[in-house]
Amino acid sequence: MELFNLAWKNLWRSRRRTLITLAALSFSLMLIQAFHNLSYGVYSAMIDSGVRAGTGHLVVFRQDYLKTRDEKLSFNPHDLAGEIGQIDGVEAVLPRLYLPGLAQSSRESRGILLTGVVPAVERQVNPFLRGLPDDQWLTSLEGREAILGHLLLKELQLKKGNKFVVTLQHRSGELVSEMFRVHGVIKTGIKSVDKRLLMVGHNRAAAMVGNPDDIHELAIVLEDQDLNYLVLPQLQELLKPHSTLEGMSWERAMPNLYNAIRLDYASQKFIFVIMMLIVTIGVINTLLMSVMERFREFGIILAVGASTARLRILVFIEALLLGLVSMVIGSSLGSLATWYLQVVGIDMRNFISETLEFGGVVFDPIMRAGWDLPWMGKISVYLLILSLLAAVYPAVKAGRISPAAAIRHH
Amino acid sequence: MLYQLALRNIWRNRRRTLLTLSAMIISSALLILALGVFSGMLRDMLATATEQYYGHLVISAKGYQDDRDMFRHFQSDESIGTVLEQEDVLGYSQRLRSFGLLSRQQNSSPAEILGILPLQEQTVTSLHESLIDGNYLTTEDPNGAVLGSGLARRLNVVPGDQLVFVTQAADGSIGNDLLLVKGIFSTGDIGHDNSLALVPLAWLQQVLVLPGQVHEIAVKIDQPFNAASLAEKYRVDLHETLEILDWGEMLPEMAEVVASYDVSRMIIVTILYIATGLGILNTFFMAVMERTRELGVLMALGMRPGQIRVMILLETTIMGSLGLVCGAVVGIALSLYMALVGVDLSGTLTPITYAGGTILPRLHAVIEPGNILIPSVCLLIVSLLAGFLPANRAAKMQPVVAIREE
Amino acid sequence: MALIELKSVTKIYPLGNQEVVAVDDFSLSIEAGEFSVFAGPSGSGKTTLLNMIGCLDQPTRGEIWLEGQEIGHADQKMLSELRLRNIGFIFQSYNLIPVLTAAENAEFTLMLQRVDKRERRERVTDLFSLLGLDGLENRKPSDLSGGQQQRVAIARAMASEPTVVLADEPTASLDSHASEELLALMQRLNQEQGATFIFSSHDPLVISHGKRVVRLHDGHLESDQ
Repeated sequence: MELFNLAWKNLWRSRRRTLITLAALSFSLMLIQAFHNLSYGVYSAMIDSGVRAGTGHLVVFRQDYLKTRDEKLSFNPHDLAGEIGQIDGVEAVLPRLYLPGLAQSSRESRGILLTGVVPAVERQVNPFLRGLPDDQWLTSLEGREAILGHLLLKELQLKKGNKFVVTLQHRSGELVSEMFRVHGVIKTGIKSVDKRLLMVGHNRAAAMVGNPDDIHELAIVLEDQDLNYLVLPQLQELLKPHSTLEGMSWERAMPNLYNAIRLDYASQKFIFVIMMLIVTIGVINTLLMSVMERFREFGIILAVGASTARLRILVFIEALLLGLVSMVIGSSLGSLATWYLQVVGIDMRNFISETLEFGGVVFDPIMRAGWDLPWMGKISVYLLILSLLAAVYPAVKAGRISPAAAIRHH
Repeated sequence: MLYQLALRNIWRNRRRTLLTLSAMIISSALLILALGVFSGMLRDMLATATEQYYGHLVISAKGYQDDRDMFRHFQSDESIGTVLEQEDVLGYSQRLRSFGLLSRQQNSSPAEILGILPLQEQTVTSLHESLIDGNYLTTEDPNGAVLGSGLARRLNVVPGDQLVFVTQAADGSIGNDLLLVKGIFSTGDIGHDNSLALVPLAWLQQVLVLPGQVHEIAVKIDQPFNAASLAEKYRVDLHETLEILDWGEMLPEMAEVVASYDVSRMIIVTILYIATGLGILNTFFMAVMERTRELGVLMALGMRPGQIRVMILLETTIMGSLGLVCGAVVGIALSLYMALVGVDLSGTLTPITYAGGTILPRLHAVIEPGNILIPSVCLLIVSLLAGFLPANRAAKMQPVVAIREE
Repeated sequence: MALIELKSVTKIYPLGNQEVVAVDDFSLSIEAGEFSVFAGPSGSGKTTLLNMIGCLDQPTRGEIWLEGQEIGHADQKMLSELRLRNIGFIFQSYNLIPVLTAAENAEFTLMLQRVDKRERRERVTDLFSLLGLDGLENRKPSDLSGGQQQRVAIARAMASEPTVVLADEPTASLDSHASEELLALMQRLNQEQGATFIFSSHDPLVISHGKRVVRLHDGHLESDQ
């Protein structure tokens, strides 16, 4: 305890130096925490909108469907959707059918992805449909109404109410065509979707290929994405009797999104690491200086009988105190910054006016932070460890002081 | 004189100077590397969109790029003026486009078909370099096709297989004909790999019943970032029914991402350098404070406060310059390594779509002057700023008090 | 007119919440070419007086005239100019600039005055031979003995041919032999070059060399011989 007291006093002997070092440490910690939390919030929003429009937090496919996207790999879910819906934490289960085909108007043809959905469930979950008025939404599973991406509509030169033909391949290999009518238009901001999306009632689409009950994907949306790891084992348990089906989480099912986040976060981490390195060098410098300028003093302490180990511990305690204080200040500032970024956010519309697609998801132009408390704790502990590591060399130096030389030293 | 004094002062405390320098070098070198890699990703993203598909500039009938209406075609000998003869133009390619269904036996898939002249197309896009199977089209192929890998997989075809293409022709009839798969490309861009096919221009003109017509002329230029100004320049040369668009107009979101890179670069540089700057500030304060007495003596000898300030600022500038040079050298060396060798991430990452392009799963740096200059210049500014406070402090010292300092 | 005139000079320092009167209503005049010692115990005000004459410090009240110029209330810029041109300092603990060589130290004030390099060298070489420092020109201060360092300090103070050389306890860090040598040297410089010297000291040896001894006690003039 006395050593702590002594270390604390020593730190404040050179007030400015200690303050600058503390500032560097706390500032870095604050920035790292704030940026991480900002990314955390942005990624959460991306994941949320991505999984709701895409495969859900968890998804059931026929085996190999993910890899080949072969529309023959469909399956009849029977009661599976209902059973999965019973699992705690499941918000919605969305059966979907995906059929690549060709849409033709009187003038133009375009490749499309005919997506068969269950209108009642899809409406509540899919963020693509948020801007769609109720009267433009599909009314039945069998109807000929279709929702089109706005670019597709434009390229086919269609208007609301117009009819057009969709051609695709029947199970038997025959090409089959069916008439649909433009009922609604959506704008997602993702070019590939706006150009190819054609949403119709599931049964109508399924009937075209000759398997009226089949689907390709059961997208499972959870109440909270952290429930992923709880629900997945239960889902896999449920799928055991169905050997041809597999359940997986969105990280595997949507590699584009998952990797976009990973890549973005990796580059951020690289910057974090540089920052930590620089700050550590700063701490080494500070501690080293404070050891060197107390050369004589340390010599006297040794001369009156203190052990070198004690001196080393003293240096470590000084580092520990520096680390602890900046942990507290930095985390407080980091929390403050996070709070601001959560409540106010950063409005990217000032920089980028277009809707931006990243990893297959529209990037919300107002970036908001989220709280990742365990991570904030973890990074503060890292900072503490780094300041202790920074003390190693100065401590070694302090231990090597020879009392006689030190007292002569001026 | 002052310069000499400053230089020698720097090396008085070698350990401290080296530590501070190492912080400067690490921050600037790694920053240069990171910016080089980020630029590399942007470049890849831009290249997947332009050099694998759009071209940097595209000449087409007015409105065609908006809805890709089959009927907005033109004859390429129509007045496009001297655009294609400009010295910035590295290559151009006449194209006819159609959307339709490709089928082979039980499999069919919607596809975008580009009718091209193989020799021309190679001067604009690099698809011929991305072949994973078979060969590129040659001028002799009457009905060859080169497909994206995803499309080939869906259709379950390999080079040598036959395909049927069905679409609506310009005369209202259903056009269909046979294609022979020649090659398969894989670019990493999911959109192209899953739906694009290249066929001979003449073949497609015949299927669509559009003899002699094209939809667009894609142009490759020397400096992609000059595309907008070149488009502006060439525009006057064109016939009034035609327009020329740069990649920024076709992919506005990408243009904005590229433009906002400057902002994000400054943010990264600023943040990192505040941390570095505080470290430098600390060192310089220590260097000044421990010399209080000596500075007092210098003043007693008649050195003016202004000269003291200049001396301290010189010290920080020299250190900043030293850090800058070493940092830039190390940074460029690292970037060069990443540019020439790079790191392949395809084992751990899939390609990522971003703003209309694709970020490829690799770390690959490009050397851009801005990525080196900005961190370097900012480092110098930071060291000057960090020197300013201690220098002021030194200049304001009272000689009597300073000399008494033990 | 006298070279230096102090008229009713008072200097008060703040010390914590209190004030310390270091020099109290002190008057004195010093002629050119004098070799004077301010003698007295520590705290008697001799260093304060030297600092004020040396333009390092300014009086709280009273006037100080140096060569017909009032310096007690001059601005900082003027003070540093005066220090550069008119004053030579010799300190108790030598205070050479550690990163400069002996010759560079001696040349320093000349460099500040922008005297050209050749002339600088010449003048310093002369001084070094006068002071018995030949061959030590390129040594760093840390490689010189205390006596040698103090002689370099004298060379530095003399190099710019100042009006007055102020030496604050110049022998305090030296042994008696070196002190004796140093004083002899300064006396020679005083006689041969006509430089004015003012010392502060409580060392009887130094005091015994002084032609004029001004004794101080608690900031007051005690005696003047």
